[in-house]
Amino acid sequence: MSSPSLLPRLAGKRELPMLVFFAIVVTVLSVTIDGFFSVDTFDNVSRQIAVIGLLSVGMTLVVITGGIDLSIGAVMAFAISIGGMIGIADGWPIYLVYPLVLAIGLALGLLNGLLVVHFAVHPMIITLATMSIVRGMVMVITGGLYITSIPNDYMWIGAGYTPFVVLAVVLVVFHVVLTRTRFGRNLYALGGNADAAAFSGVPVDRYRVWVYVISGGLAALAGLILVGRSGFVQPQVAFDGYELSAIAAVVIGGASIFGGNGSLVGTFLGAALLGVILAGMTMLGVDAYWQGSVQGTLIIAAISLEYLRQQQSAKAQRLSRRTP
Amino acid sequence: MSASRRLPSLLRTIAMLVVVNLVLVAVLSSISGSFFTPRNIENLSLRISELGMLAISQTIVIIAGGLDLSIGAVMALSPVIASKLYEAGVPFWLAALAGIGAGALVGLVNAVLIARFRMQPIIVTLATMTIVRSIVYGLLRGRTATAFPDPFLDLVDLSLLGVPFLLVAMLVLALLAGGMLNLTPLGRAVIAVGANAATARLAGIRVERVLFAVYVASGIIAALAGLATTIRVQAATADAGLYAPLEVVTAVLIGGTLVTGGRGSVLGALLGILTMLLLVNGSTLMNLSPFYQQVALGVILIAVIGQDKFRKRVFFKPRRPGLAGTGGGS
Repeated sequence: MSSPSLLPRLAGKRELPMLVFFAIVVTVLSVTIDGFFSVDTFDNVSRQIAVIGLLSVGMTLVVITGGIDLSIGAVMAFAISIGGMIGIADGWPIYLVYPLVLAIGLALGLLNGLLVVHFAVHPMIITLATMSIVRGMVMVITGGLYITSIPNDYMWIGAGYTPFVVLAVVLVVFHVVLTRTRFGRNLYALGGNADAAAFSGVPVDRYRVWVYVISGGLAALAGLILVGRSGFVQPQVAFDGYELSAIAAVVIGGASIFGGNGSLVGTFLGAALLGVILAGMTMLGVDAYWQGSVQGTLIIAAISLEYLRQQQSAKAQRLSRRTP
Repeated sequence: MSASRRLPSLLRTIAMLVVVNLVLVAVLSSISGSFFTPRNIENLSLRISELGMLAISQTIVIIAGGLDLSIGAVMALSPVIASKLYEAGVPFWLAALAGIGAGALVGLVNAVLIARFRMQPIIVTLATMTIVRSIVYGLLRGRTATAFPDPFLDLVDLSLLGVPFLLVAMLVLALLAGGMLNLTPLGRAVIAVGANAATARLAGIRVERVLFAVYVASGIIAALAGLATTIRVQAATADAGLYAPLEVVTAVLIGGTLVTGGRGSVLGALLGILTMLLLVNGSTLMNLSPFYQQVALGVILIAVIGQDKFRKRVFFKPRRPGLAGTGGGS
C-alpha cells in the first residue's frame, strides 16, 4: 500500500483528466485559430469567467455537501436589481450600496438554507421553487426595467483585471477554508455521509445553512461584477441560465454531484475550460445558439468520467478485499 | 410502520383538489365575466391537453423514482423537426413521425445515462435539456417555424361531441396510463422500482428495462405535447415549453405523487394541472403581471413540500450515500 509511484498518485487526483483536457483544448485552439494564444484572449476569457467563477465557488461548497443551488442566477439578478433600485436610484454612496446588494444575496441564501434544512426534500426541488419565486419577484418589482444611469464609481469592480483579482482572492480564501479548516473538512464529511457526520458531532444543519448563505452572497458579488462590466442593471439576467453554467463548471471540475467530493482547483479549471471553449467558438464564428450543446455535452462527459471512476474504485475495493 | 396512518390517502388528496378546483371556478366566474366565454374555455382546454400529456408521463417517471427535466425542450424540438422536414419536401406524416422519433431518441439517451450508467436523473436531464434547447435555437435562429400543412393546423377546430379533439386525446392517454399503472404487471413494476429499486431487483424485476420504457415514453409523450402546442399556437416557437418542467413537476407533486417515488396518481396530476391553469387564467383575467404566476408556482411547490414533510420521515430513502438524510440530518 505504501509509497505508490508518482504516476498513480497523480492519476488519483480528480483534477488530472481536466488539466490534460484543458491543455489539449488550448493547444488545438491555438493551432487552429490565428491569434488565439494572445494577451487579448486572456483578457477576454479572464473577465468572462469571473462571474461564472464566483458563482461556481458557491456552487462547489453546496455540491460538496450533497446539495445543489438552482437559484443563484435569480438571486444574482434580484440582488443587483433591488439593491440598484433602492441604492443607486436614491443616490446612495458606494460604501452603502455594495453592502446592501451583498446583504440581499446573503438573506436569500439564508432563506434557501433554512428551507433546505427544514424540509427534508432534495435541495434541487427547494431551490427550483425559490428560483421560480425570485425570478418572478424580480420581474414583478422592477417591471423588467433596466437601470442605466450608474455612477462611474460603481464601475471599478468590473474594470481591467479587477474581476479576475476578485475571483482569485475568493478562490484562495475558500480553498484555504476547504482544505485547512475544520469547517471545510466537516463539509466533506457531511457530504460523504450526513448521518455519520451528525453522529460524530458535526452540526450538520448549521453547516448546510452556511453553504447556501455563502452561495447567495457570492451570487450577489458576481452580480456586482456583472454590473461593473456591462454598465447597467438588467433584471432579465435572472433567466440567462447562470446556474447551469456554474453546475457545468463544478461537475466538469470533477466534483461528485452525490456530495463528499470536489475542489476549487477543479472548479476553477472547469470554469476556465468553459470560458476558453466559448471564446474559441466565438472566434471560429460558431453561433452562440450552440453554446448550450457544448455545455450540456461537457456535463455528460464529466459525469461519465465520474461513473468510470466509481466503477474502478469499486473494483479496486473488491480486489483488495480478496487479498487481505 | 405506524406512520403510514399519517399519510394523507391519495383519495383524500384528490377529493381536496376537486374541491379546490370547484371553488376556483366559482370564484373566477363570479369575479370575471370573461371566464365562461367559449374562447376562454377553449383556450383552457387546449392548454390543459398539452400540459396534461406532460403531467401524465412525468407522474410515471416520478413514481419510478426519477425526474425528467428535458420534456420542455423536447416539446419545442419535435414540431421544429417536423416543420423543417416538411419544408424540405418530406410528407408531413413522416415528418411528424421523425419529430416524435427525436423525442424518443432524447428519452433513450436519458435512459441509457440514468438506467445503464446509474447517473442522477436531475443532472442528466438538465444536461440533455440544455443540449436539446440549444439545438432548437440553432435550427430556428430566432425565427418561428410556420411550415405546417393546413389539415394539421385545422385539428385545432376538430371536436368530438363538442369536446376539443386534443382534450379527448389527452384523456384517452390518461386512461391508458392510469390503467397501465394500476392494472398491469408493468405498472406494478414501475411502482416497485420507485419504492425500492434494490428490492425490486431482488424480486426479479428488470429494473433497467422498466426505466428505459419510462424515459423513452416520457420523450415520446413530450414530443406529442409539442405537436399539440403547435396546433394551439399554429406555429413552432423556440421558447415553447420553457417553463414546462417547473409547471409539470409542481402539478404532479400537488396531485399527491411522492417526490421520492413509489406512489402517485395520474388523476391527481391532472387535477394539479387544472388548479395551476385556473390560477394562471385568473391572474390573466385580472390583468396581473404574468410573472406573478412564477411566484405563485414556487410558493405552491414549497407549500406542497411542507405538506409532504409528514410523509418524508418514513418515505425518504436515499438511493445513494451522498443523499443521506438530505436536510433533516440526524
